[in-house]
Amino acid sequence: MSAARAVVATGAAALVLAAAPWLLSDFLLSLTVACLMYAGLAVSWAMFSGPTHYLSLATAAFFGLGAYVTAWGVATLPWALCVAGGGLVAAVFAALVGAAVLHLRGAYFAVLTFGLGELVRHAITYFEKSYFRTVGRVLTKTPDATTVYLTVLGVAAAAVAVAAVVRASRLGLALRGIGGDEERAQTLGVSTRRMKIAGFALSAFFAGAMGAAVAVRWTYIDPPAVFNPFIGLQTVLIAMVGGAATLGGPLASAVVFSLFTEFLRLRFPYAFLLVLGTLLIVLVLYLPGGLASLVERRRPAAAAGGAARGAGGPTRG
Amino acid sequence: MEIGRTLWLDLTLAGLITGGMYALVAVGLNLQYGLMRVMNIAHGEFLMVGAYLAYWAYTLTGVSPLLTLPAVFVALFLIGLLVFRLCFRRIARASPSVEVLEARSLLVGFGLMFLIQNGAYLAWGADLRGYEYLARPVEIAGARFGANRLVVFAFAVGVSVVLLALLRFTLFGKAVRAMMQSPRGAQLVGIDVGLLHPVVFGVGLALAGVAGALLSMIYEISPAMGEPYTVTALIVITLGGLGSAPGSLLGGLLLGLVETYGTHVSNPSMKMLLSYGVFVLVLILRPRGLFAR
Amino acid sequence: MTISRWARIAVATVLVALTVTPALAQDPPVRIGYAIARTGPWAAGSQVTQEPNYLLWAEQVNAAGGLNVQGKRRKVELIGFDDRSETDTVVRTFEKLMGSDKVDLILPPWGTGANFAVMPLIQKYGYPMLAPTATGRKLIEMKNPFFFALLQQPDRIMGALADFLAAKGAKTAAVIYVDELFGLETVGALETALKAKGIEIVDKKSYPLGVKDLSPVLRDFKAKNPDAFLGITYPPDTFLATAQAKEVGFNPKVFYVAVGSAFPVYKQRMGETIEGVTGIGTWNPKTGGPAKAYFDAHVAKFQKEPDRWASAHAWAGLQILQQSVEKVGLDRKAIRDHIAATEFETIVGKIRFKDGENVTTPGIVSQWQKGEFEVVWPTDRATAPALFPKPVWK
Repeated sequence: MSAARAVVATGAAALVLAAAPWLLSDFLLSLTVACLMYAGLAVSWAMFSGPTHYLSLATAAFFGLGAYVTAWGVATLPWALCVAGGGLVAAVFAALVGAAVLHLRGAYFAVLTFGLGELVRHAITYFEKSYFRTVGRVLTKTPDATTVYLTVLGVAAAAVAVAAVVRASRLGLALRGIGGDEERAQTLGVSTRRMKIAGFALSAFFAGAMGAAVAVRWTYIDPPAVFNPFIGLQTVLIAMVGGAATLGGPLASAVVFSLFTEFLRLRFPYAFLLVLGTLLIVLVLYLPGGLASLVERRRPAAAAGGAARGAGGPTRG
Repeated sequence: MEIGRTLWLDLTLAGLITGGMYALVAVGLNLQYGLMRVMNIAHGEFLMVGAYLAYWAYTLTGVSPLLTLPAVFVALFLIGLLVFRLCFRRIARASPSVEVLEARSLLVGFGLMFLIQNGAYLAWGADLRGYEYLARPVEIAGARFGANRLVVFAFAVGVSVVLLALLRFTLFGKAVRAMMQSPRGAQLVGIDVGLLHPVVFGVGLALAGVAGALLSMIYEISPAMGEPYTVTALIVITLGGLGSAPGSLLGGLLLGLVETYGTHVSNPSMKMLLSYGVFVLVLILRPRGLFAR
Repeated sequence: MTISRWARIAVATVLVALTVTPALAQDPPVRIGYAIARTGPWAAGSQVTQEPNYLLWAEQVNAAGGLNVQGKRRKVELIGFDDRSETDTVVRTFEKLMGSDKVDLILPPWGTGANFAVMPLIQKYGYPMLAPTATGRKLIEMKNPFFFALLQQPDRIMGALADFLAAKGAKTAAVIYVDELFGLETVGALETALKAKGIEIVDKKSYPLGVKDLSPVLRDFKAKNPDAFLGITYPPDTFLATAQAKEVGFNPKVFYVAVGSAFPVYKQRMGETIEGVTGIGTWNPKTGGPAKAYFDAHVAKFQKEPDRWASAHAWAGLQILQQSVEKVGLDRKAIRDHIAATEFETIVGKIRFKDGENVTTPGIVSQWQKGEFEVVWPTDRATAPALFPKPVWK
């Protein structure tokens, strides 16, 4: 699917989904928000980590930073500014950090990004405690649920649209080249450092914006709740299960995963993680290409070149 | 009062002991990753299982956890063989590249993590449990430490030394090192991958279980206790250099010392900031860890 | 003929059954919903203090024939879900229970954070909530008419501690506190209370949750030799501080730890070591007739003891709910009004709410003596005299 068509399709889907607050119950609306949140997080994560194979575990850091921008600003700043601000802060942080650490590879990079998330969390805890003599923040003046929903929808749709555009752009090409063979990409004249930082920062923007948007739903936020590593882990899980090199994979996976885990949680009030863990293992062992490979097998020739490789690449080759 | 001199001695010893605990937790994971590039993110859960085994043995039969250690080692070793056979062998064979292998084993690791943790919740309940063993204080150079902490430190150093000796001086160790350096080359000279991988994986898990059993003497246990230890292990082995056995020992000790000095100079609240700060700094300056091969 | 005779008897039986059955028909059960942590970091607390009480209460009520709803007995049906210690899951689940499933009543989740998340929902849907594990000025300041905090708030608890210290003649104290909302707020209240009594804080250090080694701090304290050690701690660090104080040989006259001191596992794990340790507790099986019965029932059902602080407050909350439903039925607004205006007799004594806060239960200091957490302050509620100074670590 070309970028233009993907963007149009995303816009159309967003329009349809925008009617949800008037059609769905509160609970189903919240569930939709959860789906959209992970859709946005997974797609933006895959935007960078999919093609480059740089497994980033920093999503929790970006999400949390965005949440704190809202926490600090929601009482005084307009809502749109909070969300955009959350994204920007996360992006700037990613750019600065990326400049320092994007020379690391593989597991080193993954563990380091995880460490960064924890570092940010503890830095904010310390800062809040020392200067504001508080640990958590109560968000009292928040926008209503419909506004929050539409914001989350907007951020998710924007993430998908931008991801589609990036895939077709030179940045996307550069990122895939870096993922294929970084040294070779460099010799071919690609400014790998700048491209990596750009991709990393762009992906961080959406995670931050999402954090900023979602935080108001919780009324009270504190560092452990918003810098929750599980959010980052679940994002990575969803994207990889879906097929991180594709656009549709993480998206479909986010929806299926969120709905499925909710169903499991309500159905098995005591053993839900047991079931989930088993299914995950079975999935990886028997469907290593991720959910995306199920679709690809039906369209072997038409599969976009970039979709054949990647962290969850099918094992046909 | 010579608070100055004895205080720094106190702190150094305390830092080394804490660091030893970190190193012990990390050694099993390092072995698995170093050999097979399998990032066993469920490492902490196996540690937790070892802790519970020691706890039940002590609470139900009164047997000292030190005596239960061999049983824990064997139990977790066998579990490791099983887990490898069921989960990781297929991935190891079918992955087209090392990165793909790492990625898939990460996903399987998550699955194991969920499974084992939830299993523990179902079997043993969410409550904190604990027992006290060897908690009496021991005096060393004028400073007092709990005997159980000293035991853990001794084990950490002992296990690392034994492992290093095994790797360097035995035929088995040579085979493992050969595999770490060049998997294909090792296979060409006839080293049996099919045997080595599960054994090393099993030993890694067994070491995690032993660490858990020892730690259960000092700290409370609960089904959720594993994750922070996985994080610690990851930090330590990355800091020390992935796959380097001396690296993870020294990395752990360094982390312990940084924390102890740092929190004394400032505030325990700074402890996390310091640990992660040092970690990030080291990796920026030495991207392959302190003692990369 | 035999067949038609049997057929007639069968038809007659069915007809009789049909006419009699409506009279025996059960009223629909009272559906009570909640989300609580069964997995994740909050579970260690919720599974000791809170959810066992819900289950025990429902069982007892149903064994007695059902919940008394203004004279009519109806069975209680608990609808509980795991919130996985995740705030978003708490929000979603309560939206489902109150908004979609429209349960009759709800019970609170565990912990201050989760209770904050539910606050806007209970107001929107109009469900009263009695929370036994939520503390904090900020919660009360939200002035949510449907929220009732059962636990003593930090200022009362610390006030009682300061009174106790002053009464025993302690002049100096060293303080550690956990980097959490509870720790920060409580230590603020502590400073105010100690200042009012003229007790000097010689050192004050904070630490992050999950710390693995407090010995450097404890060694420092030992050197300063205060009369009292006051730890505003959470369960893992409560145990750690105790074990390490013993390790380094730090023996102040008063050794106080906060959350976790009332947990049965504290006694199991540390054994004789805790003799003389003081902490936050509200009750023990000796504080009154119903207390022993509750204790025994809890042990019989779960093979574990309730904790000596919030467990009883959780039970008291259920008693209040039960008494209110008996009086005013299942109209939730009426229940809310009744709770706000009435003084209740509960397992922890009288409870009356003012602006959503339990203003009758005083702050209490308890002390471990020979395997029981005795109430030692205030003296009019005490179950045993205080041991002062605390005996040297065994």
